[in-house]
Amino acid sequence: MRTFRGGLLIGLAVAVAVAAVAAAYELYDTRTLKRTVRRGEVLCGVNKGLPGFSIPDDKGNWTGFDVDFCRAVAAAIFNDPNKARFIPLDANERFKELQSRKVDILSRNSTWSMSREENYDLYFPAVAYYDGQGFMLPRLRKIDSALDLNDSKVCVQEATTTQLNLADYFRTNNMKYQEIKFGKLDDVIKAYESGQCDTLTADVSQLYALRLNLGKPGDHVILPDVISKEPLAPVVRQRDDDWMMIVKWTLYAMINAEELGVTSKNIDEALKSKKPDVMRLVGTEGSYGEDLGLTKDWAARIIRHVGNYGEVYERNVGSESRLKIPRGLNQLWSAGGIQYAPPIR
Amino acid sequence: MTKFRHLIWMVIAAAGLMLSVSHGLAQQPDVGDQPGLLPDDSVELDPEWQKQMVYYRTTEAPGTIIIATAERHLYLVQPGGRAIRYGIGVGRDGFQWQGLLSIARKAEWPDWTPPPEMIERQPYLPRFMAGGPGNPLGARAMYLGTTVYRIHGTNRPDTIGTKVSSGCFRLVNTDVADLYDRVPVGTKVVVRQKPEL
Repeated sequence: MRTFRGGLLIGLAVAVAVAAVAAAYELYDTRTLKRTVRRGEVLCGVNKGLPGFSIPDDKGNWTGFDVDFCRAVAAAIFNDPNKARFIPLDANERFKELQSRKVDILSRNSTWSMSREENYDLYFPAVAYYDGQGFMLPRLRKIDSALDLNDSKVCVQEATTTQLNLADYFRTNNMKYQEIKFGKLDDVIKAYESGQCDTLTADVSQLYALRLNLGKPGDHVILPDVISKEPLAPVVRQRDDDWMMIVKWTLYAMINAEELGVTSKNIDEALKSKKPDVMRLVGTEGSYGEDLGLTKDWAARIIRHVGNYGEVYERNVGSESRLKIPRGLNQLWSAGGIQYAPPIR
Repeated sequence: MTKFRHLIWMVIAAAGLMLSVSHGLAQQPDVGDQPGLLPDDSVELDPEWQKQMVYYRTTEAPGTIIIATAERHLYLVQPGGRAIRYGIGVGRDGFQWQGLLSIARKAEWPDWTPPPEMIERQPYLPRFMAGGPGNPLGARAMYLGTTVYRIHGTNRPDTIGTKVSSGCFRLVNTDVADLYDRVPVGTKVVVRQKPEL
């Protein structure tokens, strides 16, 4: 009887130990790079359709800022931007799907916030795109500052953080406003177009997309003021530092490349450069790529196949795209914005 | 005899014309300067090149002009982290200089005396042209320090956003007039070039 009970206890202890190891395995995935290399492609969780950021054409070719970032990671690892597979994810399921390893990386216009890192054991390595709330209004009103919006009727989507930010901004700046609110974004736009409100508020990237669908897009301006913080960033699982480093430095390599004037067009010339900071970036000096678990030319691969930060920005959401969003906050820190990458050295 | 001499002159002129045409074809066709052409006011600038208020973070004081040649934008710094941004046309080559200048002189509907370097490159240019709508300097000019370079208007609004000039910075006439009224002589002008490899 006593031995039976003893055996039961040992069995129980073993079961608990196995469960603990399994739980730890579930929480601490440290092999994303290995699995990605073995699989031969990066699995990217993306938005199923957001023009400029991530959208498939009728042949299933994905384009967009978020899509290109994932291709950059693929280029760094495989020297081939096409070794990225795109998996559309809903807003509700995205973090869980990343947690359960359905994707290697989430590149899906996701705002970096503390609770998201805490609640899902995730990590946002670096800000890829600084978005935030802004205002659109008819050009004829000749207003160029949000502080001139006192006594405005403002169209806004109901029960969103947008509505809360609007209230905060007007209260903080001692301005009065009248809310014209709707549950659906479509109704907000219709109300603005029919002149029911003086201005419409939403995230800036969204305002540029909405403006495209107005009767005469050129008759509307989007103010330079950004009244909230929506830092959009790629997302990876916590505690897989090797993978997190690759994702983080892929973005930083693109930003540094723009700052140093290295583009997809002059990359061959850059490989012959004698400037130390260019040499460290393209891998003709140092072993930064090997230390990441990649090759010397990891960043040169990114720039050659996908481009530097500015090229990716302009092509997808900037001057060469339909959206034509000015660089604004996303301009380099040295050229009027706040995009700033730590140096490769 | 006079007829014969006349003929010779015509042949020389024709040969000269052909030479200058082939010269123009051999190099880049020079779309930047067309003295005498009246500006096409119906040209609507791409949104990228239209004057607009933008977010702009800088340590330079409000009132400073910052020219970002690689971007083809001219910024007039405003208080509160913003700037008025104008679209510009910049030099093909030539103006590689980077740093701080100031506006030494301002002129409305300026006369144009192409500098000798320019005449050497483009011998077909007039030696002098009085100010007016057909003048490539356009409605206003702001002279940068003691250099031969200026911020000026244009009779070719379609060249905004391109790299065509001999190093000057050109704006459409409405924009250059707008800028002219906002900046006094002595205004600081920061010129930024794209980084070299």
